[in-house]
Amino acid sequence: MQHIEPEHHDGTSDATPGASDVTRRPGELVFGVFLLASSLGLLWSAYGIAGFEALSSPGAIPMATSAVMVMAAAVVVVKTIRLPMDVTETLARDILPVKVVIFAALLVAYGILLKPLGFLPTSALFLITGIKLLAKRNWGWTLFVSLGSLFVIWLIFRIVFTVLMPSGIVPEAEFIQFFRNLINGEGA
Amino acid sequence: MESLYDFLTVFAQPQLLLLVAVGTFAGVYVGAIPGLSVTMAVSILISFTFSWDVYPAISLMIGIYMGGVYGGSRTAILLNIPGAPSAIATALDGYPMAKRGEAGTAIGVTTVMSFIGGFIGIGVLALAAPLVSDFALRFQPRDYMLLAVLGILLVGSLSQGSLVKGIFAGALGIAVGAVGRDPLTFAERFTFDFRILEGGISFIAVMIGMFGVSEALLQLHHVNKDAVRQKISRVIPSLATVKKHLPLSLQTSTIGVTIGALPGTGGDIAALMAYDHAKRVTKNPDREFGDGAMEGLVAPETANNAAVGGAFIPMMTLGIPGDAVTAIMIGALFIHGLNPGPMLMIDQPDMFWFIVGALVAANFFMLFFGLTGIRLFTKIVEMPRAVLIPLILLLSIVGAYAVNNSITDVYWMLGFGVFGYFMRHYGYPLGPVILGVILSRLLDDNWRRAIISEREDLGRFFEGVFSSPLSAVLLLAVILIFVSQTPVWAWAKARLSRSTKGAEE
Repeated sequence: MQHIEPEHHDGTSDATPGASDVTRRPGELVFGVFLLASSLGLLWSAYGIAGFEALSSPGAIPMATSAVMVMAAAVVVVKTIRLPMDVTETLARDILPVKVVIFAALLVAYGILLKPLGFLPTSALFLITGIKLLAKRNWGWTLFVSLGSLFVIWLIFRIVFTVLMPSGIVPEAEFIQFFRNLINGEGA
Repeated sequence: MESLYDFLTVFAQPQLLLLVAVGTFAGVYVGAIPGLSVTMAVSILISFTFSWDVYPAISLMIGIYMGGVYGGSRTAILLNIPGAPSAIATALDGYPMAKRGEAGTAIGVTTVMSFIGGFIGIGVLALAAPLVSDFALRFQPRDYMLLAVLGILLVGSLSQGSLVKGIFAGALGIAVGAVGRDPLTFAERFTFDFRILEGGISFIAVMIGMFGVSEALLQLHHVNKDAVRQKISRVIPSLATVKKHLPLSLQTSTIGVTIGALPGTGGDIAALMAYDHAKRVTKNPDREFGDGAMEGLVAPETANNAAVGGAFIPMMTLGIPGDAVTAIMIGALFIHGLNPGPMLMIDQPDMFWFIVGALVAANFFMLFFGLTGIRLFTKIVEMPRAVLIPLILLLSIVGAYAVNNSITDVYWMLGFGVFGYFMRHYGYPLGPVILGVILSRLLDDNWRRAIISEREDLGRFFEGVFSSPLSAVLLLAVILIFVSQTPVWAWAKARLSRSTKGAEE
């Protein structure tokens, strides 16, 4: 097939991958070496499962796959070394901008806070911080949008999908029960 | 008769029909909003619908799938931003048309062509799947194994990326799927003595991470991009336009179904290949390709919707997903205690005919929603990414947590999200990873069954492979893909073309 060059070559899809085959993106080599090293680690670990005991041993497929990973990663590293560096891109701007790092950190913070604080307060904090950082609008707008959408999400998932999230410090169940009683009380 | 009844289930139950409609409607918008993709939506939804019955859950997912594959075209045409990967080729000619003030025509043609393509895909599914499943009963374990390997290789070789990276991604997926205690011998695999790894890694966490979190992080690069609005003219295309492009649409639908039916490759690759095909066969386009050729819209849009039906063929008959979305649906069926494969078609043909029915319903809804509500549409699509991205991330977390009520899954999701983010940047395809995770068990079981039945003798194994035409063909296909990527292939091709030239002279 002829090579089609769409404008959006950013890795959104497998059909149009993010890397190019004529230049090397910043950090591409480091990533390749990291993959190679981890694959070697996996191969060692796979060998530890059953060694070369039998072709049908539980370690056979893990060893085969991690060996394939090692070989593929090695080929990628060799190919990447040969490519010239893409001088138009920098790591800090095109690969890992501060925004992405901040959001990754926010996600980790979410994971840590979810159990002790509970779903509603953690999510509120997350959405407010996230939307404030990205939209750069005033606090009134930020609070309205983030709390509003959180309320909708909570309604949909708690009521329609009946997903239970850690309630933490907010007495969610009592709250819902209160409203149920209210509605039932009126109906009776 | 029985199958007709099952086929009509979805039309007979208003609740299911409504879910398909809601799904399709949501799908059109999910597909259209840049930053939201079908794969992402379905992988998040699976964790929310797992407490539902299987029919409603599947209805909703099929609606989203069908609508979403189509929806991407709208933003591609109006804003030059493909809303979904399957619409990347659509933007090439759709946007120039919109700039000329023909956005309405472009949307109309796209919708009708998606509808036609969708139907051809479903038709082929309904006709081919029962045949394939009869045939599939004769599949040996080794055939399943070879087919799984083939599927993982295909993504890397048919897309514009690198095969080696595709192979790496597939192997990584298989390794991830193998983590935990081996179901047969109870030996620990890749657990590094961590108790937490003994149960394995939840594939839903992997999927949401790869398709939800990593995509959202990638979209952070485009937060401040503003879109230019286009005027919309008449939407419903004339019959003459449709008639004129019918021959091309039939060809590209065939490409779509075929690519869809190949394990692992889906609408995004089908659309690009169909675009390429249209470019080669259209002799005198009214306008050049890239400058708003109608053929450039017809080809990718018929192909990507035809690929939907195609993708269900290997999923329903063999339990091998046709693309990333069907890989997730296989996961959904597993959760509901169903085991897709030839036995499912025999034990529960109702499930198959129900899916066909739901696809037909979704296709009609797509046509309806496609030709109406464009005003509302332009409003919704302009939802700022600054709000969208934090919301996607929140939904991803809720989704990953909800399946097992486990915070560990959330961390897995984050880990795979960040990892997937780098994979996307450096050109490693994500489809093979998911395929690998889903197929890991199948590959492992079938390899061990195959080699044990040959008394652990590799020689006998290969003797078996070559004595069965099917296994031999599959093995040859696998080898061919490898060879096609090596210098040997280019050399042979050059030799061949030189010798034919010589003969002509």
